[in-house]
Amino acid sequence: MRLFRTTVFRLSLIYACVYSLLSAVGLGFTYWSTATHSMAQVDARLSLETDVLLELYRTRALPELTEAIRRRNRDDGQRKVFFYLLHGPDNAARTDSLHPWPEEARYAYATLRFGDVFSIPRSWGNADDKVRVLRIPLSSGHRLLVGRDLNDERTLLNHNLKLVMIVITLTFLLALVGSIILGRQTLRRIDAVNRTAQAIMAGDLSQRIASTRRNNEFDELGRTLNAMLERIEQLMTGMRQVTENIAHDLRSPLNRMRNRMEVTLLEPREPAEYQTVLEQNVTDADALIQTFNALLSIAQAEAGLQRDWAEQDLSALVEDLAELYSVLAEEQNISFTTAITADCMIQGNRQLLAQALSNLLDNAVKYTPASGRIALKVERIDGCTTVTVADSGPGIPADQRDKVTERFVRLDTARSSPGNGLGLSLVKAVAKQHGAQLLLEDNQPGLRVILRFQE
Amino acid sequence: MRILVIEDDQGAAAYLIKGLTESGYVVDHAAEGHEGLQLALTDVYQALIVDRMLPGLNGMSIIAALRSAGIKTPVLILSALSDVDDRVEGLRGGGDDYLAKPYSFSELLARLDALLRRGQLEQQDTLFTVADLEVDRLKRKVTRAGQVIQLQPREFRLLEYLMRHAGQVVTRTMLLENVWGYHFDPQTNIIDVHISRLRTKIDKDFSAPLLHTLRGAGYCLREPD
Repeated sequence: MRLFRTTVFRLSLIYACVYSLLSAVGLGFTYWSTATHSMAQVDARLSLETDVLLELYRTRALPELTEAIRRRNRDDGQRKVFFYLLHGPDNAARTDSLHPWPEEARYAYATLRFGDVFSIPRSWGNADDKVRVLRIPLSSGHRLLVGRDLNDERTLLNHNLKLVMIVITLTFLLALVGSIILGRQTLRRIDAVNRTAQAIMAGDLSQRIASTRRNNEFDELGRTLNAMLERIEQLMTGMRQVTENIAHDLRSPLNRMRNRMEVTLLEPREPAEYQTVLEQNVTDADALIQTFNALLSIAQAEAGLQRDWAEQDLSALVEDLAELYSVLAEEQNISFTTAITADCMIQGNRQLLAQALSNLLDNAVKYTPASGRIALKVERIDGCTTVTVADSGPGIPADQRDKVTERFVRLDTARSSPGNGLGLSLVKAVAKQHGAQLLLEDNQPGLRVILRFQE
Repeated sequence: MRILVIEDDQGAAAYLIKGLTESGYVVDHAAEGHEGLQLALTDVYQALIVDRMLPGLNGMSIIAALRSAGIKTPVLILSALSDVDDRVEGLRGGGDDYLAKPYSFSELLARLDALLRRGQLEQQDTLFTVADLEVDRLKRKVTRAGQVIQLQPREFRLLEYLMRHAGQVVTRTMLLENVWGYHFDPQTNIIDVHISRLRTKIDKDFSAPLLHTLRGAGYCLREPD
């Protein structure tokens, strides 16, 4: 049974045993103290009864005492509590009851079997009943012995003992039932989590753990697990989308190459034609390789491993890239201005930073129309080093700004220009790796991209 | 010129050997690390093309063994590992140049050429001449047909690199790596713009062009035919 292996059940069971044991000890002590107390009362009564007989012996004489004992021992059909015995100095009984003096009753008080002490005929009780006896020596050498029946006390104590047993058993049983209920309740909640996990492993990622209104620790755990599942589902969806995009975007150029070759093979052609087709294929293959390289760079940056990490002079790097790209901008009649604060140092990978910044500059040059403007800035604001690339191109609509950093996402307006839709994905990955924020803003008109490196 | 190719991928090796033979090289091939090292130790080759991952003995170990045996044959490392760190590791480990797979054959040929000439150009030349174009590294002065040409510092380094490799094909990647120090493909053909700038300055007002664009390969600075 799984129930018996649950922690809650075992803990409850241990508590049940401990409680039962504690109550047993408590009740046992009560029982013992009751028994002691009732015995003390019996002894007091015996002593009182004996005093009456001794008084008689002292004021009258031995025959009177013998007579009194005989009278008191007489069976009148009523239940008697006290019994009497008188032994002579020669250990011979002076009363009707002739019985040898038991060895055990050497002391004043003793608890003995009735049959061992008395041979008094009676209609109540039997020889196995217990009696409490008090033995007193008399001045004449005789010994007086008074016994008291213990049946009442015995009955009371037995009743008490039974009560104690019942209470202990009940405590244990109740605790056991409680443990089972608690264990099953816990099992039920855990089973719910298990069922959800199994459904998810079987492929249904949309499964979630149900929560109750009790808002206990299981609901809290369920909520955390659900949040984790939500995140995993998001990542999986993203991953699937990326894979689909890759497949889609790589299939078209491959298809193009294949068709081109197939058509060429349909009939014999001039060598020059073959050459053209092969050259076109080389160009397409190069573009494919470039796409894969870009994907690898993104993957490397996203892995977040800080390889080749060193202190970089961001100002010098941007200056360097500005020089590389200003020529390109000039060529297209775009005004290219820079405002670079010197000596802005950050920790990072020079090649990845250069690639990310060059992607931003590439985009700016690509999308800014002739006689437009590109402004490149490096500044320190509140301890953060920021690089800003602002252009006067068509910009990116506000609702698309989150999307364009995903792999292979290109705006419809950009479809006609060259590119693979990976540029901003790399910038985002590199920014994340360097703990930088990537912000896309409206430059009115155009796009303003800000990379903010945290101190 | 005799070249040793150590490459275990049969297809890649066959393609490489075919291309190199057609380009006028004599090519030996080893498909296994130890065999490759044995051949390389004979020291009869002008250059080695070594794959990093090989059965038996890996590429970096071969290079280390050669260098400790005092053999200074230039080595071009080929590798599927394309990270910047792998590149740095390959070059620190004794390689002379590093090319990541997949590569274009023209790129490989251009780099191999550059490696083979490097030995000859090792004596730090201060004056380069191609036809009537002169570059003085010490004075940082460029003249063509006796006329002084003003160049920006980067344009000067670009020209200097082209002059060093005069008559050879120089690819865009080689220029981006050696003149600017970047190891990535820019999305736009930024190098073309810089070359065309340079061309305006050194070729435009003169009779015969010296700086040529080779389609699908790169550039070449050479004497007019």
